[in-house]
Amino acid sequence: MRFQFAGAVLGAVALAVTPAQAHHSFAMFDMTKEVTVSGTVRQFQWTNPHAYIQLMAKDAQGRDVEWSMEMGAPMYLYARGWRPGSLKNGMRVTVTLNPLRNGQPGGVVRDVTGADGKPIGTNR
Amino acid sequence: MRQAVVAALAAASLSAAGPAPAQDAAARSTLSTAERTEAFAKLPYWPGYWVSEQYANTTIGGFAAPRPAGSPRLQRLNGFDAPYNDEGKARQAEAARTRAGRRADGWGYPMMMDAATPFQIMITPEETLIVNAYGETRHIYTDGRPMPPAEDMWPTVWGTSIGHWEGDTLVIETVQVQMPYTYFHGGPTFSEEARYHERIRMDGDHLVMEMTVEDPVTLTGPWSATITHVREQAFDRMVQMDFSNDRTGSENGVNTIEPPADEREGQ
Repeated sequence: MRFQFAGAVLGAVALAVTPAQAHHSFAMFDMTKEVTVSGTVRQFQWTNPHAYIQLMAKDAQGRDVEWSMEMGAPMYLYARGWRPGSLKNGMRVTVTLNPLRNGQPGGVVRDVTGADGKPIGTNR
Repeated sequence: MRQAVVAALAAASLSAAGPAPAQDAAARSTLSTAERTEAFAKLPYWPGYWVSEQYANTTIGGFAAPRPAGSPRLQRLNGFDAPYNDEGKARQAEAARTRAGRRADGWGYPMMMDAATPFQIMITPEETLIVNAYGETRHIYTDGRPMPPAEDMWPTVWGTSIGHWEGDTLVIETVQVQMPYTYFHGGPTFSEEARYHERIRMDGDHLVMEMTVEDPVTLTGPWSATITHVREQAFDRMVQMDFSNDRTGSENGVNTIEPPADEREGQ
């Protein structure tokens, strides 16, 4: 399924840096764009080589869309204040990410904030 | 029945009197306690959770912190710039053709020494252990033993290493490494005949590793790279987890994220 970004806040952000290659190249993500998605956590995968947030959000037509949001390895998340219990199923969060180039509902996570608007963990 | 048990114990006893003691001796220090304490005191201590400078201050998204403009290019261990012969070039071309969407099994050697995964270095008089957050471990024996006979080695993901100390520099030779690209899709395509020479030392707050690789199968001459490591902050302990959820996929030659395991077809 191709997800249209109409339901998300889409912004073109020129990034000054090229990130280092981690477990795989970041070429699969459009690093010139940042998308903000709000939804409900279906699953938080605390796994190597990447953690993933499976987030249920609505598209422009009000249909449920599941996003696969990639994060770094748990060891790094742990060092930034994250724990396996930081996201619980059913929790509402807002995620800013660089989207997949192929149009699928997914991307690499930049920031995550809870329903109270406060960031989860310390990130940078 | 009882006779059979006695016979089995006797057989076990005979077996224990065979090659086992030699193996046991190899696992223990030949130094006296006083000698060992003295040897320990002379060794460097390199505490910390080390990552190559390339990956310092990684964010929750897996991004390394940007380096100041004009910073010198950091060298890598992926071997992309090695002097390949025809065989090496053919392997590089095949790797480039098959890399998209490939999943990995971990970092393996040498990539675990230049990875987005911190490692610790535990130094003893007899061996140095390098252990990363995936549980990948290198055993570098420094008790004076030679490299094992050829018939006692076979290619593995992390190879076979022997080391010695030259002052505060750990000098390592590693052989019998499986082609690194097989285990990790970003690894070099060196052959199992490659010999890896490392020199690791502290320079201020950095750990500096100079590596030279010789490979008669894929290289026209030695290839060298220097990797500097820094201490990652905010780790209070090493938390090891297996490598179980690589969701790298490919669509039309471009990587993508595969659906979660509980939503894939047939599961």
